[in-house]
Amino acid sequence: MKRRFLCLIAAAGCLPAAAADDADRPPILPYPIRKSTLDNGLGIVTVPFDSPGIIAYYTVVRTGSRNEVEKGLSGFAHFFEHMMFRGTEKYSQEAYNDALKALGADSNAFTTDDWTCYHMTIPASALAKAVEIEADRFRNLKYDEPAFQKEARAVLGEYNKSASSPFLKLEEAIADTAFTTHTYKHTTIGFLADVKDMPNQYAYSKVFFDRWYRPENCTIVVAGQVDHDALLGLAKSHYGTWARGGKTVDIPKEPAQAEPRKAALTWPLPTLPTLALAYHAPAADPADPDVPALRALQEAVFGETSPLYRALVLDEQKAETLSAFADPHRDPHLFTVLARGRKVEFMPEIGERIRKALADAAVMPIAEDRLKSIQSHLRYAFAAELDSADAVARAVGESIAMTGRPEAVNELYAAYDRLTPADLQRVAARYFAATHETAVTLETKETK
Amino acid sequence: MTTALPRRPAAAALLAMVLVATTCAAESPDAQVVLVPTSGPLVSLRLVFRVGSQDDPKGKEGLAALTAAMVAQGGTKTLKYEQVLDRFFPIAAALDGNCLKEVSVFSGSVHRDNLGVFIPLATEMIASPRFATEDFERLRDEALDHLTKTLRGNNDEALGKWTLQTSLYEGHPYGRPDTGLVAGLKAITLDDVKDFHRRHYTREALWLGLAGAADPGTVGLVEAGLTPLARVSEVKSVAPPPVAPNAGLDVTIVAKPADATAISIGFPITLTRSDDDFYALAVANSFLGEHRTFNGRLMQDLRGQRGLNYGDYSYIEDFIQEGQSTFPIPNNHRSQQYFSIWVRPVPTDKAVFALRAALWELDRLVEKGMTAEEFEATRSFLLNYSKLWVQTLSRRLGYEIEGRLYDRKNLVAELADRLPRLTVDQVNAAVRKHLKPSGLKVAIVAGNAEELRGLLIAAKPSPIVYDTQGTSADVLAQDREIEVFPLRDVKVRIVPVEQMFEK
Repeated sequence: MKRRFLCLIAAAGCLPAAAADDADRPPILPYPIRKSTLDNGLGIVTVPFDSPGIIAYYTVVRTGSRNEVEKGLSGFAHFFEHMMFRGTEKYSQEAYNDALKALGADSNAFTTDDWTCYHMTIPASALAKAVEIEADRFRNLKYDEPAFQKEARAVLGEYNKSASSPFLKLEEAIADTAFTTHTYKHTTIGFLADVKDMPNQYAYSKVFFDRWYRPENCTIVVAGQVDHDALLGLAKSHYGTWARGGKTVDIPKEPAQAEPRKAALTWPLPTLPTLALAYHAPAADPADPDVPALRALQEAVFGETSPLYRALVLDEQKAETLSAFADPHRDPHLFTVLARGRKVEFMPEIGERIRKALADAAVMPIAEDRLKSIQSHLRYAFAAELDSADAVARAVGESIAMTGRPEAVNELYAAYDRLTPADLQRVAARYFAATHETAVTLETKETK
Repeated sequence: MTTALPRRPAAAALLAMVLVATTCAAESPDAQVVLVPTSGPLVSLRLVFRVGSQDDPKGKEGLAALTAAMVAQGGTKTLKYEQVLDRFFPIAAALDGNCLKEVSVFSGSVHRDNLGVFIPLATEMIASPRFATEDFERLRDEALDHLTKTLRGNNDEALGKWTLQTSLYEGHPYGRPDTGLVAGLKAITLDDVKDFHRRHYTREALWLGLAGAADPGTVGLVEAGLTPLARVSEVKSVAPPPVAPNAGLDVTIVAKPADATAISIGFPITLTRSDDDFYALAVANSFLGEHRTFNGRLMQDLRGQRGLNYGDYSYIEDFIQEGQSTFPIPNNHRSQQYFSIWVRPVPTDKAVFALRAALWELDRLVEKGMTAEEFEATRSFLLNYSKLWVQTLSRRLGYEIEGRLYDRKNLVAELADRLPRLTVDQVNAAVRKHLKPSGLKVAIVAGNAEELRGLLIAAKPSPIVYDTQGTSADVLAQDREIEVFPLRDVKVRIVPVEQMFEK
């Protein structure tokens, strides 16, 4: 086998707390981030802290359903996540599972629109074993067509388990209506027709693995009781000769939306009437000042202490729930407001009051003390999430998946602290025009 | 190239973590306070009242859960609920409330910076709730919506699980969703809630726990906040009567529009964590179907070999998963438990085969037992894996309190203590003793109820037809056993979904 000479491009020490102009506050992540990159592009990131005897070992693959550009193959990133548990020459599926079992690992994986993540929580002393078995399956995955087909049916089972909830249908309709061109048009699990057809795509699965499961697309993140240099040494040994792929695809850009869109869904059983209003929003990079401003706006206009929530949910009780979310994405995605009403007849009014609240936010500045309260909420909410090695690795992993930079998580919280009322007004004016709106309703089907 | 590695062996390192929790768990002069001090900036608070849905008065089913909701999501004597939210918002805190069969659990975590805001407010919510009419209406409507819309129409897996419990415990205090029943909720008045709180939320019925950056002074702050609670209860929770086992296969099919078929199987068992056999059975159960892992035979055979569905698991006690994590919520204390198998939705045409396959797996475990090798591998797994159940402060605290409720150490410590001394023969004996029922209850949520009833009553072979290639000869040979696995003395009742949880 041809050996490649390895060198470490960057073996950074602890990163500074945050950018210099934010030096007055410590970073949101209370632990240092150390990062290195192998010559083949594989990222190695550690977040060492005292988590007695435990580490979380994450492999972040910057590939999700966003990367599914070929027609008829939606849902493949998620399906492929399943295939990664089907074994290698050295570790069959059973042997891989036995190895994890012996460690007592909590091991699983997940896929989103933008990334696929393989994670395990294990004893700190099992680091070498984790590197060995993970490197092996990322480099030497092996499965035959029967195994591929059985797993395809497990994925259909996953779709079936979710399909008894109207939220899957709602999520599918929002994506399909709000996007015309970008691959965010389908949800992570994919179009049902494509999921049903998966057993026929064995050949494509090899193309997919070869294209995306390459070192330059992956980062190892280990949080907890870990020594960075020890991990680096292990990574060099086990991942060092993994060849770059260098392949990519063009992900179509979504053109600006120029007219309002809508979709109406029904559900065969009684369900709460639901309205989703979605607006195009920027990608998750905190370098864009609109990103933290939209997150704060989400709390200001739709959070549990917002005037609208107080009115619709608590006082008038016309809505059972009201919330807004803008899940982080690599490419521009959506800011979605979701309301579940008590009665169908309340829904038009609920929709109008949501739109009015957004319009008001563009012209009326939020009070300074209210903004301070939101900033405090965001900071403490995140701090409370960081209650285990797994939670820390997940937060850093997501930061890498979205931006390529682990420290972006600290940048985001520093940016929250810099927000002014004018920032919230600016994004309210920019993103919530009627022409940018996708409205999806879901109601119980009339059975008359 | 050699690399420096962490030196601590796995089990020792993990054990050390648990010992911290155990040795630091100090009890205040009041024996019902558990304190688990640790480093770090967060504090977790847990209050476990020994009152649950089993204590609902007849005709007012849902009262315990509605009372818990009114405490956790209502105002206080001095603050409206919206003012409570205003206080919690900047510190990103909340008081979570959860009513289960025998306990009502309130918990919250907060940064130590904010203890001075959180503890007085959280304790005021518990000891001096507002019980406002508007909160009562809002929360009762939410409970009704949960039963009539979410459970009936939006989640077949949860519907199947609650149907199983309803069937397992018919006519028994456990035999309904903790949220209650539609008729019961409609009959509850605000005065009922006030009265229930006054009679059941007492200092005597409370286990109080604090973990993290808390000290005896913090306990004092909590105790002071709880002063308005009565010390002694007017009524005591009474242990529910045991459930008689059934004979044969007692199937309830919930009929509703459904593209796939969700299946739950179970029978009551007579042991809890207070019994020695529980720990032997825990090993066998992990081997058969550890929740959401690939270790169990059910998962490996039904999903892995056959592609029947997304997952298949088994349990020896009631299991409620905590959010997105794989682990159960702590503090679901019950004096009676049941064994169950969860078969996630399968294609309609494979439902009877899947049911038989799950029963066949259980039968194989009972009849053949575990080999010494299987036992060793599973024991090793469970010893290490169980340490992960206490990764967060809140969970560590929950397990500490739970241990005291069962009059044992916390579950992780019990397993660490007992598993090394267990033998495969003890495990197999426990399996034969406890997992060989005279009959089973089955709950099925399906869109083809009548057809399914016919198939089950006829008890004819149910061969599986694969639309995938290359099923191994071994698996095909097993399939021939499974397709004729006896379904004896089958009784089927069909319940239209709109009747579920009505009264």
